[in-house]
Parts: sequence; structure tokens; C-alpha cells
Amino acid sequence: MPRIHFKTADQYVEFAEGEEVNVLRMAIREDIDVPWQCASGNCGTDRLVVEEGAENLDPPRRRERARLGELVDEGYRLACQTYTRGDVTFSWDPDQVGLDDEPGGAGGSRTGWAGTG
Amino acid sequence: MAELMSSSEFRVALEQAFSGTMAKDASFSRAWATGKLHKQHFVHWATNHYHYIGPFGDYLGLMYANTPDHARDAKDFLLQNMYEEELSDDRHTDLLIRFAEACGGTREYVQNRDNAMPFAKGMQGWMYYVSGRENFVVSSAALIVGLESQVPSIYRTQYPTLINKYGFSEWEAEFFDLHITSDEIHGERGYQIVLKYADTPELQQRCLHYVREAADMRFAYTKALYETYVLPDLGPWVEEDEREPALVG
Ligand code: FES
Repeated sequence: MPRIHFKTADQYVEFAEGEEVNVLRMAIREDIDVPWQCASGNCGTDRLVVEEGAENLDPPRRRERARLGELVDEGYRLACQTYTRGDVTFSWDPDQVGLDDEPGGAGGSRTGWAGTG
Repeated sequence: MAELMSSSEFRVALEQAFSGTMAKDASFSRAWATGKLHKQHFVHWATNHYHYIGPFGDYLGLMYANTPDHARDAKDFLLQNMYEEELSDDRHTDLLIRFAEACGGTREYVQNRDNAMPFAKGMQGWMYYVSGRENFVVSSAALIVGLESQVPSIYRTQYPTLINKYGFSEWEAEFFDLHITSDEIHGERGYQIVLKYADTPELQQRCLHYVREAADMRFAYTKALYETYVLPDLGPWVEEDEREPALVG
């Protein structure tokens, strides 16, 4: 069975072969502590670093591209906007807040996090 | 006499309750997903959809008033859902009208209740009834698990078709993009509320009853869209692989 590795929380979630699942939905279902607020691609609170398995994710649509800007090229995705059909590993900063709530964070300035490598 | 199901058994029962009659399988949805509709059909769809989901904030407000104070997490979820429908970004009904305008419709036409099918008005009345009269757990099961949680499966098929086959821009089709993901999360949180607060066999059975009814309502409504607007143009719906092979030569 394919699985999502939520590395920062040290938890895995499995799903059925052939399914495509929303990453934030799976985290909420299993009570995994991924930070989030709006669930609609607005706030950016749920940005995750894709550490492995980017090829299993659907491409970002307009809202996600608009919200993340250059962070997309740095390997970030928004959990609420992302679907996966195979194994993938994510990490995040457990203390992160919305992109507009970061000190000096509004307007597309750099607000990413380097991940755990 | 039904017994109290465990949380995981109850979740499976809820999922099965609507799996036989999912709106994504209705003729209108199938014609949409296979690129057969014309822009005028979409104007009719948007108009009816406006009268069906336009008062969603009202439905949630009625449910909020019916939710006791001790279920604070459920109240907060309903309030957040309401805020997201109306205020957090573009108003959802404005995105729907944006799509209708991209298809040649107008705001006035969409908002005019006289242009909606009786089925859409029936759907709206059913939602006012359930949200206003039923226990908050039962109305959450009906409206959020039975209806809202179905949305991503419908729009995930329809959205790529809108962009790739019908040629809409991502901006014009933003209504669908937004609901693919927001309703995933609303649907999941709806499940959590229902699993937590349906704590008697009677409540669980009533939730299942209303999830079935919600799925039947939406299926019938979607089928009526085809019969009212598309049938006169395209004839009865036949799946691609069931069509007569074309005569050769
Ligand atoms: S939760 Fe706000 S962008 Fe995903």
C-alpha cells in the first residue's frame, strides 16, 4: 500500500493502491499535527517541504502557485491543495504560521523553511 | 434493534450509505466529464446550483443555532465553514457567477429564482428543513457528509475537463478549484463531528438514513439537470462504450 510519511510528526498514513488522496485530509483524519487554517490555499500555514516522492503528486493549480510563488520551485507544497497517488515524504516547521502572518511575510517575500534535509 | 457501532464501523457505514448513488455518476455529470455539454448548459447548471448552494451560510447558521454549547468544536467548525463560504476570500457564489458569465450568462439571470428548476427549489427547501429541524449531528451527516464531502470527487473529474476540453481559464473555473480542496477538509471535519457526537444507535441510524436521502436528493437533482436542459439537445445519455459502433463504409 502507498503511504504518506509525515516526517516531522514521525507518523505514516497508508491508503489504498489506485487512490489519490488529499494530504491535509489524511493528516486531519489521523490527528497528525500539520499546521493549517483555511483549507483553501489562502493562508499558506500548511506549507510542507517535499523530501521524497514529488513525482507522485499532482501538479500545483492556480491558487497554490499564486500563494506559494517562488516557494514552489524550492520544493514546497500546500497540504490542503496537494493530492498524492503514491509514496511521499513531507517535513515542516512545527511553529510555522500563515505566510501573511510571518514577520515581514506579506507580499511574496521569502518565508520558507530549510527542512530537515 | 441496531447496536452502537464503533467509530470505524460507523465511518464505513456512512461511506457506503452514499456510494451507490453518487452524483458524479449521474447523466449530467457524465456528459460534463466527457466534454459533451455546451456553454448554455453550464449557464443553466450555474443558475440551479446558485439556488441550491447559495443559502449554504443560512443552512450552517441554522445548524449552529441547533448545536448545544457543550459541542463547542462542532459549533466552531460550523462557524468557520460559514466564514469560508462568505468572507475569507472571494464569496463562493461570486465565483459561481464568474463562471456563469464566462459561459455567456449574467448575474441577473443566475440570481433570478424563476430561472431555477423546481428540483433546485426542492433541494433548497430540503436543506432548510434538515438544517432547521434536525439534531445538529443528523444535519451535519446530511449536509456535510452526504453532500459537501461528495464535491471533491465530482469536481476533480470535471475541473480538468473544463480547462482542457472546454477551454476555460483557471481564473474562470476557480469556483471548482476552490471546492475541490476546501470541501475535502470540510467533509473530513464533518465526519469527525458525526463520529464523535452520534453516540447512540438511534442517532447513528438517523444519520445513515439522512446520508442516503441526501445522496438520493442530489442524484435526482443532477439527473433532472440533464433531462431538463441537455436531453432536448443531445438525446438520452448513453455511455461511450455502450454506444452503437459507427457504420463503416
Ligand atoms: S490551510 Fe491555508 S493554504 Fe492550506
